[in-house]
Amino acid sequence: MAAFSISAMQEPRRALPYVAPALALLAFVILIPAAYVLWLSFQQSTFGRAATFVGFANYAKILADPYFWRALGNTVVVVLIVVHVEVVLGLAMAVLFAGGLPFRKLLIAAVLAPYAVSEVGAVVMWRTLFDPDTGFMTRVLTGLGLPPLEWSVVPSHGLALVALLSIWLHLPFTFIILYAARLAIPKDLYEAAEIDGASAWQSFRRVTLPLLMPAILVAMLFRYIFAYRLFSEVWLLTQGGPARSTEVVAVYLYLEAFRYNDFGAASATGWLMVVTSLLLAAFYLRRLYREMFARAD
Amino acid sequence: MPTDPAFTPSGLMRLLGKAVAVALVLAWSLGPIALIVSAAFTPERDIFATGVAWRPTFENFVALWQRWGDFFTGLANSFIVTVGATLLAVLTSTLAGFGYSRWRSRFLSGSVFAMIALRLLPPIVTTLPLFPIVNALGLNDTHAVLIILYAAFFVSLGTMVMRTFIDQIPRELDEAAMMDGASQAQIFRRVILPLSAQGMVAVAIFVIVYAWNEFLFAFIFTTKNAKTAPLVLSEMIGSLEGVEWGVLFAATTVQLLPILAFVVLCQRHLIEGLTAGATKG
Repeated sequence: MAAFSISAMQEPRRALPYVAPALALLAFVILIPAAYVLWLSFQQSTFGRAATFVGFANYAKILADPYFWRALGNTVVVVLIVVHVEVVLGLAMAVLFAGGLPFRKLLIAAVLAPYAVSEVGAVVMWRTLFDPDTGFMTRVLTGLGLPPLEWSVVPSHGLALVALLSIWLHLPFTFIILYAARLAIPKDLYEAAEIDGASAWQSFRRVTLPLLMPAILVAMLFRYIFAYRLFSEVWLLTQGGPARSTEVVAVYLYLEAFRYNDFGAASATGWLMVVTSLLLAAFYLRRLYREMFARAD
Repeated sequence: MPTDPAFTPSGLMRLLGKAVAVALVLAWSLGPIALIVSAAFTPERDIFATGVAWRPTFENFVALWQRWGDFFTGLANSFIVTVGATLLAVLTSTLAGFGYSRWRSRFLSGSVFAMIALRLLPPIVTTLPLFPIVNALGLNDTHAVLIILYAAFFVSLGTMVMRTFIDQIPRELDEAAMMDGASQAQIFRRVILPLSAQGMVAVAIFVIVYAWNEFLFAFIFTTKNAKTAPLVLSEMIGSLEGVEWGVLFAATTVQLLPILAFVVLCQRHLIEGLTAGATKG
């Protein structure tokens, strides 16, 4: 058997058998379908019938649809609330944990627990907590003299519950990213700040926050992109109702495709989601692209 | 004499503040879970009653077993799909991680970039064209379709994690093996695989948690035979006229506890994986 020389090993063609299965999986499940959705978005098409080319008619249709705009508005509001509350809470918890706590491992396990909960499970939990008649939180709210959350009737209350349970489900992710970044800050910086007479707040403002900024941005970016997909929480809690008032973009897409059988409009919605997701990610992808090609040369 | 800072008034205040913060964090993270799990062990008629002493019981689990055989088929399906998706994702990610770690070229850089960009696309978009194709191939309502979908949506994160881990294995080991006449495949099997086990565990954890809990794809692509546990749970909520709360809480508990125990046990690997790959790719 011939020995493999080091130069042969470095020939890039030899990497192909290793990367091919992963790339094939992505191509067949994501890339080709996404391209096909672009094509579908220019067709008039329902399930099981031949498509006809209609140009931008599907886009015109959804952009003229008040339900689309409401779904988009709901999505934007929920995403903005969810991501920013998560970052603030995650940051506060990272600082709390980095400051030293007894039973830290056990406490981190507790904080990670919601990561293990399914969207369905979380919906069962939170709708029970906020059940208008018997929910624990409803009793707490009335006890405090506050109105209960009428999530199945009042659209803004429904979206508030969706936001609350999304924050609950995804806070572990945001927390871990920020906590790991906080632990990576060298101790000497805090010691130096202390010697200079900085208060706890000042050392947070001048040391922690600026050094965590890159991690905060990455966490926010990822959460923007993933929160934007929001579907299950809304679907399981309100199904977009009452009267389509709590729909988000993914629910709108689902209804267009699978309830109203308008694959063209659904595809146009889908492609708008793709473009906006990539625009959201553009900053990150651009930086990554530079790094990639710096690595290649 | 120096005083312990904890016993000065401001030190005490700080300690108290910390204790309150920790209590809030615990109530927030565990409260909703504790509520459902304890309700699952409560007789149905006591669940929503106030001021009743807790009488732990298994009757909700018994009722679940007797009336919702579907749920247990769902658990079995979830198990099959989770194992399949994990094997497929870990295998393809490890192979690709090796490829991207050990070779450089414009094509490889371009393709890894495409991988990351594709991961950012919303999954619901791909259901539109896949739905008719899956139907035409007769794959609707099979384990295979979910296994492939779940693996595909994690192979990109998995590859990034594996590349990070394999990058840390010194190339000198590859070269030494090569001198001894090992082929590339042998290097992969004998050098890389054993040393990248930690990365594989990190990838497996992500896929396991995702596949066990996933709702959207299961909802669209399965109807009966391959229905997973979260989907059966959603049907239990959906029967709005007569939700059997005790049974629903019991089912939620049964679906949750194994994966919760798993996450707690694998805490260290989970954190490692999140920091190794989630943010970098």
